[in-house]
Amino acid sequence: MCGAHATVRGFLGELVKQSETDVLVDMEAGLEHLSRGTGRHVSRFLAVVEPYYRSMETARRIAQLAGELGVTSVDAVINKVRDEADREAVHTFCVANKMPVVAEIPYDTSLVDAERAGRPALDFTPDAPSVTAIRRLADHLLSTA
Amino acid sequence: MKPIRIAIAGKGGSGKTTISGILARLLARAGRSVVAVDADTNPNLASTLGIAADRTREIVSLPRTLLKREQQADGTTITTFARDPADVLREYAVDAPDGLRLVVMGAVGHGGVG
Repeated sequence: MCGAHATVRGFLGELVKQSETDVLVDMEAGLEHLSRGTGRHVSRFLAVVEPYYRSMETARRIAQLAGELGVTSVDAVINKVRDEADREAVHTFCVANKMPVVAEIPYDTSLVDAERAGRPALDFTPDAPSVTAIRRLADHLLSTA
Repeated sequence: MKPIRIAIAGKGGSGKTTISGILARLLARAGRSVVAVDADTNPNLASTLGIAADRTREIVSLPRTLLKREQQADGTTITTFARDPADVLREYAVDAPDGLRLVVMGAVGHGGVG
């Protein structure tokens, strides 16, 4: 058992039990946390999906593992959508895998610009299309809380 | 309102951390108490949240000494989180813009604990 993962999982378990605070976990790129059960302590799972095969394949495995853990809702956040073909490919995937789409974020070079400047996009380009899409996602999460 | 507890997963390079950072700050801006947890083995959430590089370097990640291992009568070991999470936040969380707090997972694999 990896100590670092076990520690963060233990902390999350106690935090969600003993407080009313909101918690947002940036999971690791691999599926380590999922297979170790960190996801048990959250009520909602968002899988970021890009319009290409390997990304969708990863999202499918995330949904599968989350299901095995008893996390019922795995929502898709579609990212880096460039055109109608992208949109159609990911939506088809999400429907086939029963993942409700809660956000669709366009491909947006202002995120790259912010990254290069070492600044959060929220401060650097607050009105960028991608930031606007994430703002809608935040509003959705707040309205369903 | 119920607490919002979300995990964001995805492939490396998917934009997961960028989205996490923006989302966490927007929830905090809406007046909610938010703890962001960077559970990635390559932690980058701090800069995405807008924490300055010099402060990012000083972040102390959660040490595994927060876990307590106890040997049971039957010889098996159980591991429990032995601390009050509020104390852990006071000790290890760093302040980020919009009033949210960030906690970072410790490095994986050090000391051969694996």
